[in-house]
Amino acid sequence: MVRGIPFAAKLAAAFLVTGIAIFMLVPLAVVVLSSFSASEFLVFPPRGLSLRWYGEIVASDAYLAAGWTSVKLALVVTVLAIAIGTPTAIALYRFRLPGSEALGALFLSPLVLPTLIFGLGLLILFSNWGAGPSFAGLVIGHLVISLPYVIRTVGAVLAEADPALEEAARTMGANVWQRYRYVVLPQCAAGMAAGGFFAFNISFDDAVVALFMRAPDVETLPLRIYSQLEFSPDPSVAAVSTIMILLTIILVFIIDRLFGLKRIA
Amino acid sequence: MNGSRNATSVLRHHREPLLLLSPGVAVLVLAFFLPVMQMLVLSVQVDDGAGGIAFGWRHFAKFFVDDYYLGVSARTFRLAALITFICFLLGFPLAWVMARVPARWRMFLILLVVLPLMTSVVIRTFGWLVVLGSGGLLSDFLELLGITDRTTKLMHTESGIVIAMVQVLLPFMTLTILGVLQRIGAELEQAARTMGAGFWRAIATVTLPLSLPGIVSGCLIVFALSISSFITPTLVGGVRLPVLAGSIYSSVTGSFDWHFAAAQSVLLLVATLAVILPYAMLMRRRDAKAAR
Repeated sequence: MVRGIPFAAKLAAAFLVTGIAIFMLVPLAVVVLSSFSASEFLVFPPRGLSLRWYGEIVASDAYLAAGWTSVKLALVVTVLAIAIGTPTAIALYRFRLPGSEALGALFLSPLVLPTLIFGLGLLILFSNWGAGPSFAGLVIGHLVISLPYVIRTVGAVLAEADPALEEAARTMGANVWQRYRYVVLPQCAAGMAAGGFFAFNISFDDAVVALFMRAPDVETLPLRIYSQLEFSPDPSVAAVSTIMILLTIILVFIIDRLFGLKRIA
Repeated sequence: MNGSRNATSVLRHHREPLLLLSPGVAVLVLAFFLPVMQMLVLSVQVDDGAGGIAFGWRHFAKFFVDDYYLGVSARTFRLAALITFICFLLGFPLAWVMARVPARWRMFLILLVVLPLMTSVVIRTFGWLVVLGSGGLLSDFLELLGITDRTTKLMHTESGIVIAMVQVLLPFMTLTILGVLQRIGAELEQAARTMGAGFWRAIATVTLPLSLPGIVSGCLIVFALSISSFITPTLVGGVRLPVLAGSIYSSVTGSFDWHFAAAQSVLLLVATLAVILPYAMLMRRRDAKAAR
């Protein structure tokens, strides 16, 4: 007979999980709550409730410009990451190429190289060969760090999809275009979408590559927040951060629906 | 055997996958390996005194003879070790609870870990700046408990960095250990208990040793991410407590010594690889086992 878990252990587990839950959520909750502050300064708990700081950011050219840059950047990165990551994943998971395992590891290597080092390398590259930091440089930097996610998510759904379907289409006379349009790409679809949302999230949240690719006319939202934090943040930073947290929550739910959060682990 | 004809036939045979791979390979080579190579080259490039370029170890030497940079490295590794240890102490029991609770609860706990993970590090650090700041939530709380007095500060301290970094990196530890715990299942733990082992003994002699590969992987990834993290230690620690990543950044933007920044990056890269390669080998073995 299996004995139950002792009461003391259950109690300890309950305490621990509650403690960790508070610990994990406190920094986010504090940001959200201080954004509704009515006071001039960033204090917690907030003094008085108002939406004035949301009004401030909507009226602020700097925040709007940074927000627009971030959205534009994230969308371009998402499209490119899906367009390049999907064929890569198909080649790696659907064909028996010599050395494809090593190649797969190489494609995932941007995940383990510290972003800071990559950012510096990119800055050196663009200063040597290009015109220095630019929007295009940011696109390329974010593409590199988000590509592994698309390759992984598409690879994961392909590993579970039936390869015989493609074989069947081939034997029944489907040409290359038909094979991809009606069989392979629909099999990849969920992974492409989930990977795309990952790519959007990574690009939208990154501050490290953006810090190195910082140009006078290119400022992303996280970079704007970072510069504010270096000096004296007022509650408008909290308001912008709250909007970004809200967006993250939406993305997490979409990714869960499409792909299952459990599979991120 | 004719080598070139062989290569041609390989090319024809694999034309489709090679075409599919080419854009990805182009991005990987031009936008990832090339910048990293450029950085490696820059780190050993020195002025030969006549306006030309020579190669040498001068930038590395500058690092190793200066107590300041050795101190920065010592702090970086010391904090990373502490952060890793605390992440393990919190992450193992959390992962165990996640693996044992009903599915709906597990979903909630995964969300608890993934939501902060997916939030920008800048925003999480911002939250910690508010919490740790003077008159902030945490110092009030600790004062209430009688642990600290009014004069205790957490901002611009190593304790502050550790607290914030554990929150940032705990998801990696938890999810890595959870993966292993779910694979080994609860049966062996229950078998040990059926045969008379107490609860804690079953955990210590069955579950803990079985999940060791996950624990080691989790510790390696947290340590690697910790030594290279920039945003959180820089903002929480401030200018008086620089870590290696912060030092690299100030060499780029402060003293404009890109060669020295590149040399420091190479050292950080070597340290990261020394930790990540065993991690990659562990993960490979795990995947190979799962496939069997």
